[in-house]
Amino acid sequence: MDPEFRGDADHHDGTSDATPGGYPTQRRPGELAFALLLTLGSLCLLYNAYGISGVEALSAPGSVPMATSLVMVIAAGLVALRTARLPLVASETLAKDILPVMVILFIGFLIAFGLLLKPLGFVPTAALFLTVSIKVLARKSWLYTFAVALGSLAVIWVVFRVVFTVLLPAGIVPEAEFIQFFRSLLAGGAA
Amino acid sequence: MDAFWAFMTVFTQPQLFGLVAIGTFAGIYIGAIPGLSVTMAVSILISFTFSWDVYPAISLMVGIYMGGVYGGSRTAILLNIPGAPSAIATAMDGYPMAQRGEAGQAIGVTTVMSFFGGLVGIIVLAVAAPFVAGFALRFQPRDYMLLALLGILLVGSLSNGSLVKGIFAGALGIAIGAVGRDPLTFTERFTFDLKIMQGGISFIAVMIGMFGVSEALSQLRNVDKQAVRQKIDKIVPSFGTIRKYLPLSLQTSTIGVVIGALPGTGGDIAALLAYDHAKRVTKNPETPFGQGAMEGLVAPETANNAAVGGAFIPMITLGIPGDAVTAIMIGALFIHGLNPGPMLMIDQPDMFWFIVGALLTANVFMLIFGLTGIKLFTRIVEMPRSVIIPLILLLSVVGAYAVNNSITDVYWMLIFGVFGYFMRHYGYPLGPVILGVILSRLLDENWRRAIISEREDMGRFFGGIFGSPLSLVLFVSVILIFVSQTPLWAHMKARVFGQPGAHDHKAGIDRR
Repeated sequence: MDPEFRGDADHHDGTSDATPGGYPTQRRPGELAFALLLTLGSLCLLYNAYGISGVEALSAPGSVPMATSLVMVIAAGLVALRTARLPLVASETLAKDILPVMVILFIGFLIAFGLLLKPLGFVPTAALFLTVSIKVLARKSWLYTFAVALGSLAVIWVVFRVVFTVLLPAGIVPEAEFIQFFRSLLAGGAA
Repeated sequence: MDAFWAFMTVFTQPQLFGLVAIGTFAGIYIGAIPGLSVTMAVSILISFTFSWDVYPAISLMVGIYMGGVYGGSRTAILLNIPGAPSAIATAMDGYPMAQRGEAGQAIGVTTVMSFFGGLVGIIVLAVAAPFVAGFALRFQPRDYMLLALLGILLVGSLSNGSLVKGIFAGALGIAIGAVGRDPLTFTERFTFDLKIMQGGISFIAVMIGMFGVSEALSQLRNVDKQAVRQKIDKIVPSFGTIRKYLPLSLQTSTIGVVIGALPGTGGDIAALLAYDHAKRVTKNPETPFGQGAMEGLVAPETANNAAVGGAFIPMITLGIPGDAVTAIMIGALFIHGLNPGPMLMIDQPDMFWFIVGALLTANVFMLIFGLTGIKLFTRIVEMPRSVIIPLILLLSVVGAYAVNNSITDVYWMLIFGVFGYFMRHYGYPLGPVILGVILSRLLDENWRRAIISEREDMGRFFGGIFGSPLSLVLFVSVILIFVSQTPLWAHMKARVFGQPGAHDHKAGIDRR
């Protein structure tokens, strides 16, 4: 088959292990920097692994970490060397094809989600996250945004809180009281 | 007789039967919606089902797995967007068929062939696994170590990408799995003296990050892509059509089972190899490949579903995952206190026969749901991505948080999500990372056991390898993977098989 074919929606971004991203004979913007970063990171890991137990014995706790980080250093170094020799993809830029503003924005949203999850609680944080991200992505009216965001949040909340009984941070919303109210309502209705 | 009743568990308990049905139904849609993958769904599901009993949790996952592998074909045919990685090859001939107005027929044949492939996979699993498990009892620690290595290496060597990147990904996974306190001596490893690192990195956070967040971030690019609606006519294919492709489907099912059973490689690779095989053996297709050849649909779709049954063989008998999804299922079994490996088959054969029964049920439901409900299907698949992507991200956060009720896990998920995003873009496979994480402990423990039993002597260790046929075969396979990537291999191949250029040229003519 044509190794370049990766489905219509793909743009050399890698859809699976069978069809990884990138180009076989060119390098993408930032690819070399990434490979160098991996090499550097692997070297740090190797140093750290040496510190675990040194080279005292083949069965020491540090032997497998040392072997793996050594493999990482060699593999990343080889990748960096090979990548350095390839010509840059002419039609791509870092800002347009690898790390568009939208991706950075969403990484920011997710960090904010993590920061707010504990203090604010799951329901308000998720409502905020869904509203903002759907508004940004769909660019439709606020009515549509609110309806879709809150509607889907309600479904998710019921499924996970009630069906899967997942504990989520309650935060400022009196969730337990709400569920209790709901239960007593149902119990009252059944009686 | 016990085995028979264990096999029947799923049929006698309505709750489990229902969960398999729900799982399969959900799986078909998860597989079909581009951006939602089975790997992602199963990794998020672990964190939601860990408070359940193990049977219901496995029922749901098995259903999603079976349905999801099939579901991707629908979007591949209708929209030319493979809904799941295993359907990449399906789009090549499925979409041209849909353009000709034969979408219904394409979906029908795909469904029946997926069922057939799935069935072959399950039968092979049921017959082969008990043998493999019996055989596996004789495995030495070094054999486990070599098998784990082989699994991590195979993904990189069988895919289209670079093996070196695959090796890096696998080693990275092993390193991630080693973080925390060493289980044997309690020494801290890769903790950088940080307290939060001592407990290790939650593998669920790594999985959800790599398969959920990174995928969702990649999909941000495709938000505005409009789906093209296709007219769908009669779906149920005629018996004659099925009979015509039966010989091919048997061959490609076999490819699927074997690739699935090899540690590490799953349906996506099986489908591509089967497509290649169909192209080679079909001398005179009615329609050329790439323009809507039926063979081009039959081959990948039988293979990817056959790979499901295949992937369970090493998972259950050896504790070594057959692909990324079974890697995650091993994680799920760990959480439920089960330890997949030859002892599981001996101590709890019920678990194995239950999985076989659940797979079979899922396969039948896949056929039923596959041949019905097409109108509803087109509606759901057209759900805008501007809504789906935020929902995936939300579920990923909830999933990562829920296992340990820890915000730290959410951050790990984010870190690995962003890291995985770059890995995807630069051609590093993600499967070996997950395999490495799951196999890290097995590799480490078996290496240390092996080398201690050889009194820390490398010479004796290799002596042991060369003294046992199994170890030798595994060792040679590992070496061959490396050799196959060197220029020496290409040179040898050229000498043995004649000029590679001439051979390829001839094959090219045959195809036309």
